[in-house]
Amino acid sequence: MIGDLRFRNSGIIGKALIVIFLILMIGYSILVLFPLFNMIISSFKTTREIFKAPYALPEIWKFSNYMEVWNKGGFGGYFFNSIIITSLSIAVVLLFGSMAAFGIARYRYRLSNLVYLIFLAGIMLPLKAAIIPLFLLIRGIGLMNTRLALMLIFTAMSMPATVFILAGFMRTIPGSLEDAARIDGSNDLGIYWRIIMPLTTPSIALVTIYNAVPIWNDFFFPLVFIQSDKLKPLPLGMSVFFGQYQISWHLLFASLSVAILPMLILYLFMSKYFIRGMTAGAIK
Amino acid sequence: MKKNLVICLLVLMAGSMVFAGGSSESDAKEESSSKVELNFWSWRTEDVDIYNELIDIFEAKNPGIEVNFTAYKNTEYNTILSAAIKGGSGPDIIHLRTYGSLETLAKPGYLMPLEDKVPELSGFGETVLLGATSASDGEIYGVPFASQTLVIYYNKAIYAELGLEIPETWDEFLANLDAVKAAGYTGLANGGKDGWTLEILQGVICPNFYGANDFFNEVVAGDTDFTDDRYRGSLEKLLELRPYMPDNFMGIAYTDMQMLFINEMAAHFIGGSWEAGYFGKENTALDFDVFAGPVAKKGDTRYVSSFADSSFGMSADTQNSKEATAFLRFMASTEAGQFLTDKLTMKSDAPGVVFSDPFLGRVGDLNENNTPYIMLVGFRYDKPTGSELLQSLLQGMMADSINSTEVVSQVQEGVSSWYKPFQD
Amino acid sequence: MKNQVNKTFWILFFILPGLLIVTIFIIAPLFMSMFNSMYSWVSIDRDRWVGFENFVKIFTKYPYQDRFFNAIGNNVQWFMTTMFVQNTIGLLFGYLLFKRIYGSEIFQRVFFIPVLFSVVAVGFLWGLYLNPNMGVVNRLLNDMGLGQWAMAWLGDEKLATPSIIAVNIWRWVGFPTLVFYAGFNSVPMETVEAAYIDGVGEWRLFWKIMFPLIMPAVTIITVLTLIGSLNVFEQVYTMAGLDGGPFYSTDTLGTLFYRTAFGGIDTGLPEIGIGSAIGVVIYVLTFGISAFSIVALRKREVEL
Repeated sequence: MIGDLRFRNSGIIGKALIVIFLILMIGYSILVLFPLFNMIISSFKTTREIFKAPYALPEIWKFSNYMEVWNKGGFGGYFFNSIIITSLSIAVVLLFGSMAAFGIARYRYRLSNLVYLIFLAGIMLPLKAAIIPLFLLIRGIGLMNTRLALMLIFTAMSMPATVFILAGFMRTIPGSLEDAARIDGSNDLGIYWRIIMPLTTPSIALVTIYNAVPIWNDFFFPLVFIQSDKLKPLPLGMSVFFGQYQISWHLLFASLSVAILPMLILYLFMSKYFIRGMTAGAIK
Repeated sequence: MKKNLVICLLVLMAGSMVFAGGSSESDAKEESSSKVELNFWSWRTEDVDIYNELIDIFEAKNPGIEVNFTAYKNTEYNTILSAAIKGGSGPDIIHLRTYGSLETLAKPGYLMPLEDKVPELSGFGETVLLGATSASDGEIYGVPFASQTLVIYYNKAIYAELGLEIPETWDEFLANLDAVKAAGYTGLANGGKDGWTLEILQGVICPNFYGANDFFNEVVAGDTDFTDDRYRGSLEKLLELRPYMPDNFMGIAYTDMQMLFINEMAAHFIGGSWEAGYFGKENTALDFDVFAGPVAKKGDTRYVSSFADSSFGMSADTQNSKEATAFLRFMASTEAGQFLTDKLTMKSDAPGVVFSDPFLGRVGDLNENNTPYIMLVGFRYDKPTGSELLQSLLQGMMADSINSTEVVSQVQEGVSSWYKPFQD
Repeated sequence: MKNQVNKTFWILFFILPGLLIVTIFIIAPLFMSMFNSMYSWVSIDRDRWVGFENFVKIFTKYPYQDRFFNAIGNNVQWFMTTMFVQNTIGLLFGYLLFKRIYGSEIFQRVFFIPVLFSVVAVGFLWGLYLNPNMGVVNRLLNDMGLGQWAMAWLGDEKLATPSIIAVNIWRWVGFPTLVFYAGFNSVPMETVEAAYIDGVGEWRLFWKIMFPLIMPAVTIITVLTLIGSLNVFEQVYTMAGLDGGPFYSTDTLGTLFYRTAFGGIDTGLPEIGIGSAIGVVIYVLTFGISAFSIVALRKREVEL
């Protein structure tokens, strides 16, 4: 089945084009992998060496950078907080977001455009713009200095884009599938869960990674809402390496190299679903 | 297979309920003992260990008080501090910026006037206290921390190798730069990517050409303005330095400048006295010293720009003003000043501090003739500040997008929109 | 009748949880900041009602006016470049992946990696690569004998914004790639097969059959690009600083807003009133343009 998709009937020009495209893609892959490699080797150098010989392998592999990062306060704790905050926010976003997208994309009613616009309205302004009202709100409901505050904010922040992307994809699912399920006696929840959600898997995977990365890397909201050290997520923990006049790049790179790992793993895990979604479409 | 994803989701959801409930409880503040806790916020993330050491000394003397020092990233400090203060959960002790930036908190009344609480303040110098004084009500709101001086760093080894002498006049300075350049080094590490490093360049070079304190006093009083030819002419001097800066210097950022000097690729670095500690730490073999900005002709008085760097203040609505006062009095003491001076290689303003470090001694000597760092001390009280205007305009001038006349006229236009003496 | 009640129930069931969270944590604070834009401020305290005075200032008074229009110009540049370069490449890559070009399994995994980087790492590494002296870009140019093309990429007023946009494209091109890839994959196989049986060539297949069918993905990408371009902040902040240097050449509405509302790092003072007003303008612009483009683009989507 998959073989059927490859370019066929291509003449000389077609073949040449494919070669050019391949070179482009390989070129871009190198552009992607080099900085990743660069970041990792930098994490084994001293700050001075990072600037002196940025592209060379370390003269001495300083594994001690990682030790120093680990000992510099509760990095294990920061890591744990980041995992909790990111995964729970994403879980809530995916559930509520896909539900809302379903409610917008799969029903026809007069207010559906208004609801859609309300969600959209949230996409558009960086929430930083409203930091002082938000601060008063969080304090008002007694959630200052809690992980829950961050989860709520991150959930709200990711919701609009999630609804927007998922609703876009859900619209493309043919109505006939839904009608068939209805005849078989499925109620709306069943249609959402058993028909639409499985077909939306590739875009769910996409949305997961699209939202998880900014949440994982965000340090602004934790900075404002978290005070106690044991609740800090990773990026906030890392900000101690930024001084006013000096930055400990070696420690920063060590922690960045550790911090990118969970996202890489999540992405590699998720990328399976792009292919899965593909074959599902083919079988159908 | 898709089921897996869905099940994962479900499990996470269930988990979220448990954790969401749990997290808010577990965060409840640990019930404090009988000790009074003071929160102390700063942006000096690089100095956390040193402050904690200092706090230990204080706590040993004041057993009933516990001070929690928290440093936030410099670039976000203003934002988080205003949000917290506005929301009523700011710290008791606040590391304050000086001059106009102090106004942000002092003017709406978020700070406690200190003059009658901290008698030690009377021992501080008048110019230093100016940085912690509000322009709107004349009250002192902070215990001054350190003053900074703007200087020219030079690499002593390169000077020895080429047989160079410390320059006095502008021509001598340029001759040295030529010699260094001919020997294959970069003359001057400075670049233009970060606008604030250009303002500092101006602070080092220009006062000796615009007439230092005379011009400063006139311009602050509104007797002259920035379009004065003395000021415009002094900016022209900066253009003469361009040939000695690194290739494509407009792309050279602050960290690049530091590295060029630390790695002994550049012979000079124009910057602030706060750099010394970092230079020495990053390259222990680096042999450097400082001199003041050169003058037009031999025998002229050599001025250095200096300013009060920051101060320690107290929140107006602290619950523990007695303890906070005790802490601020400690911070104003010779002991604390000496400790910070020795550990941070910074020139503390606390009375009675001695500078055993030869570098600080040298900076102290240069301060014989000092002049206020013009935009910071005089023109950062409202928007648009003199500094923000000058920094970007200097970038334009160094890249030849605009000339010095346009720089001064736009600075003048921006500042006069709020600076009263310019308005009549 | 029962059916209608039933339908309303289900719609509410699906929509309410998400709607509540968004309303409380985004819409409400945003309305508050609109309110703030109508006041004059004494540093961080609200002072008195001034109506639209702050807005008038943005549009008419030096230096706000200059900065504002300068920033908008840069935002437009961001949008045009991103739309035409990044999204075209994304469309091409997405299609090639869909067509199972050699190595597509690997490419598909590699292309998204830059998105995973923290913006701090991207800012630093690319700042280093574009550094005039030790940057790998200039080194390569010198080695190839193109020394005269070695530039101060981030320090030159004409090159700084394009350089930062290029880095941003490097970072984000994987996203449209995957969205288009997912879009192509949701096209029913029968349609493609039927076209092949009819002997339709690749070019026609792409433009006449595939492209119209992925219009929903095109809408998503166009609107997200619009929103992204009007809200550019982090990439400029990490690579050029809050002042949008050199000489405001990289300033965008996002950096201008942030700098005004919260004050520069140590040069500026906060102007919450004017800052909020800039925020409102960004908001109205984004909302208007994206609502308009959604309506326009949706018309072209093919119902299945």
